[in-house]
Amino acid sequence: MKRQIGFAVLTLATFLCLSAGADVMGSDVAEPPVRIPSNVAWTARTIALASSGNALRGLLIARRCDRCHGREGFSSSPSVPNLAAMDRLVVWKQLDDFRSGKRSSPVMQPIANSLSLEDSADVAAYYWMMPISPDPQDDRAFPQPLSDPKHEALAGRLINAGDGSRGLPPCQACHGPIGSVTGAPSLATQNGTYLLEQIEAFASGRRANDINMRMRSIARQLTEEEKHALAESYGAGLGESSVAPSGK
Amino acid sequence: MALVSITLICTWLTVRFPFEVESGIEHLLIGPNRVNPQTLHLHGEFVESNLGPVEDSGGGVTVRMIAEQYLFVPQCVVVPTGVPIRLRMTSADVVHKPTISETGEELKVVPGYVVESHLQFERAGEYQMPCREFCGPGHYTMRSRLLAVPVEQFRRLSREARMGCAK
Repeated sequence: MKRQIGFAVLTLATFLCLSAGADVMGSDVAEPPVRIPSNVAWTARTIALASSGNALRGLLIARRCDRCHGREGFSSSPSVPNLAAMDRLVVWKQLDDFRSGKRSSPVMQPIANSLSLEDSADVAAYYWMMPISPDPQDDRAFPQPLSDPKHEALAGRLINAGDGSRGLPPCQACHGPIGSVTGAPSLATQNGTYLLEQIEAFASGRRANDINMRMRSIARQLTEEEKHALAESYGAGLGESSVAPSGK
Repeated sequence: MALVSITLICTWLTVRFPFEVESGIEHLLIGPNRVNPQTLHLHGEFVESNLGPVEDSGGGVTVRMIAEQYLFVPQCVVVPTGVPIRLRMTSADVVHKPTISETGEELKVVPGYVVESHLQFERAGEYQMPCREFCGPGHYTMRSRLLAVPVEQFRRLSREARMGCAK
């Protein structure tokens, strides 16, 4: 008898356990199709996997990347991103997003598909170790000059102070140097033309692999002039030189 | 005996898979108002297609938002006047405190939990909602806006337009 009651309680508890999950959303929620921006979530396990790369193996794999991203992680074309000293987690996430199709690129998707999770971590570890010191030997496109000197002050204000009236945070709060957020790349040595393309892609929603819509929310509020000013300033290497928000 | 074993199994499951599995067991033990801040975008109530205002069957409106360093997402939400509004919010990283300047309403948003606030706007207009809890170097610009419009106007707006009022 005791045993039967035990089984009954067990069955009831199992049923309750399984059914409780279904009621969480509530029945009155009209749900649009679920859109998932990226399969990557920064759990401890993912961070450990993405940080576990072997830079020596990465060195061998990265020889495939030389033609576009440069031998030292600095590209000769301003529309291709520089990868030298890029955070490991950033490279790993972007490769995973290319692999899963969350970020689209006819060039990068097949390449990412040929890499395993460990390969991605290895390549990420390799680029993470590359120095950003100037090298007269290679033909890096970075830095490019500003097209308009006024852009420096405009971008400086946004990078250092943001715009509170529009709820725009300062770029440096996430992209450095004063603050950092997991998965946000440093922009100190990034190419301007590439940055402009990405800001525009975020603004229009063409690129939508940012977790919790951070960059899409910000980019859509920027004016055309601000987009150009920011991309050019970072592309000219002014992003981390702490341009004072002066009234000039 | 059975109860003890169930308790043990459930405890083991919670300890073994903390946040990894969003199963019924987890919700039974910790309740529906707990979420994993790291996986908000993957499943559950705060996936990006579920954010923003949604009309409930009871005539009210539920607004779901994420507070994260250093933004509220969606950044601007259109809400109807004269209708009870249920604001459900969670944080993706640290503690934030959105405060509706005009009414003094405060919400302390803690990662891992869903906070709910019941609001009703009688006057149409723009309500600023800045963050009032220091959350990092971008804290001073962190703000969202609630735009209260007459309920008929609200019903005519598309889903995108209800979240697209950011300047």
